[in-house]
Amino acid sequence: MNNIKSFFKNNTAKKILLFFNENPNCIDTAKGISLWIGSDTGLTQKCLNQLVKEGVLTSHQTASTSAYAYTNNKAVVKNIEKYIKNIL
Amino acid sequence: MNESEKKAKYEFLVKFSKSNSITAFRKLCSKVLKKSRCAFLDSDYRPVNFVGKECNHLRLGKYLARLKSSPLREYMVFKCSCNRVCLSFPVIQGSSVYGHVLFIHLKKEPRKSIIDAVRIFMDLALKEFQKEQELTKLYETIRPRAIALSTIHTIHRLLSSTLNMDELIERIARLTLQVMRSRHCSIMLLDESRKYLIPKAIINLDKEIPKTDPQYKKIKLGVKLEGKVAKTGKAVFGRNVVCVPLVEEDVIGVISARDKTNDAPFDKFELEILITLAEQAVIAVKNAQMYEEQEKMAYGSIKTLAALLDSKSPNTFTHSDQFVKMVLALAEAMKLPREDIANLHYAALLPDTGKFSIPDEILKKPGSLSSKEYDIIKKQHLESLKIIEHLEFLKPAMPIIRHHHERYDGAGYPDGLKGDSIPPGARIMAVANAFEAMISARPYKGKKISISQAIKEIEKNKGTQFDPETVDAFIAATNNPEFENIVRL
Repeated sequence: MNNIKSFFKNNTAKKILLFFNENPNCIDTAKGISLWIGSDTGLTQKCLNQLVKEGVLTSHQTASTSAYAYTNNKAVVKNIEKYIKNIL
Repeated sequence: MNESEKKAKYEFLVKFSKSNSITAFRKLCSKVLKKSRCAFLDSDYRPVNFVGKECNHLRLGKYLARLKSSPLREYMVFKCSCNRVCLSFPVIQGSSVYGHVLFIHLKKEPRKSIIDAVRIFMDLALKEFQKEQELTKLYETIRPRAIALSTIHTIHRLLSSTLNMDELIERIARLTLQVMRSRHCSIMLLDESRKYLIPKAIINLDKEIPKTDPQYKKIKLGVKLEGKVAKTGKAVFGRNVVCVPLVEEDVIGVISARDKTNDAPFDKFELEILITLAEQAVIAVKNAQMYEEQEKMAYGSIKTLAALLDSKSPNTFTHSDQFVKMVLALAEAMKLPREDIANLHYAALLPDTGKFSIPDEILKKPGSLSSKEYDIIKKQHLESLKIIEHLEFLKPAMPIIRHHHERYDGAGYPDGLKGDSIPPGARIMAVANAFEAMISARPYKGKKISISQAIKEIEKNKGTQFDPETVDAFIAATNNPEFENIVRL
């Protein structure tokens, strides 16, 4: 996983992480998440895929739906939470 | 006024003093009073939110308190300890005085008309603040619920996209871990006797639990937490565990989540989420169970039909079990979608129904056929397929049965299809069919040859009789010891 700080350089990724930090139980599609964070769906999709690759999010794939959720990795979640507390 | 009322009023004043409406109020007041900074005092004249540096507001508050023993309901113009003009304005909500706004060190005593304007600004600010408060409340209460609702909707979509029970149960368990933020999840279904719970999926984030693990032992109804929940049909909610029944008229199983990833206790919101997820899961499980039953009925019907055909002429219209296994193994190797594999399975059980009305003398003729005989085969092949076309569930399998005598180069029958226009299932069946014919000893199919010779023969016809991709998968599969067991007739 990259340095957490680097995720927050991208505004959409930052919004996604703030969203999941606030709503860790959420599972939603790229379209749904883009609605919650008020970002473009395409950009959101791109960031979601990147965050899945980095292990910050997990994806649940079926033939018709791709949904995204926060990682269950305690250490990653804790680090992000800590970082968010510092920047807000 | 009791302590809780005081606290509520104080909190109201703190929020009000920091609200956007106060920013607008200040701007308006700065126009008329030539002073934008103001301080807030609660109904006991204690400072709430300092804005301003000119004066010691705490002292001023005490000074005001001495002036009036009861909360002021009207404005007051007075001079502070440094003998400069100050204006105190009450913040009134309904019949209560919540506190005061204090403008300190004004240049001169404000006129009545200015006081009236400030009063109007205050009313507007309070109304705006109330709207702000309502919106905040809506945001705080509705947004999490809307997000939860959207999550449930997404879960519904994820669950309804499969009818395969094993896949579904695993998916429910993974989604439960996700939404409950838990480290452990188990799903158990009642057996047919309804006396035992059978663990169907147990997932632990810290370690993989094999099906042979004691945790997978069946649980008697009424025993352990899960057994009790299944027996009573009531959810159990504790610090580290949430267990809810799966109910569809009767209890059909239970779903439980244990140990949150952040070690926090489960809350009622999460219980609510798991109950809703369980409702979705029940629908999906019931659908999968119905699909399984339908599939069993379909296989039963096909097998009955195959047995009937076999009784007329053994091994003519059907093939061996090995043939079916070989076809399915090839389909798996070629990563065909699950639904296509199921249809291929149906087709493999009845591959040669098309031969039904072909005369025996042609069907069992040793050696090659004349062009006239070949024409009869093509015509009768299509005629015979009409026997099964009324079986609705066989419709997706029909193209496979119809076209598995096509050749990749277009020289096959009945339609002379070529290349990728031949259904993938039919291309697989063509390879398996030819292979089985070569390695089995049937009087009308010529001499039996060895498996290695048959493999060479298949490879030789790659790209002409057979689809190259299927042949590659076939060759790769023959190197698998498991495949060798399948093809040994």
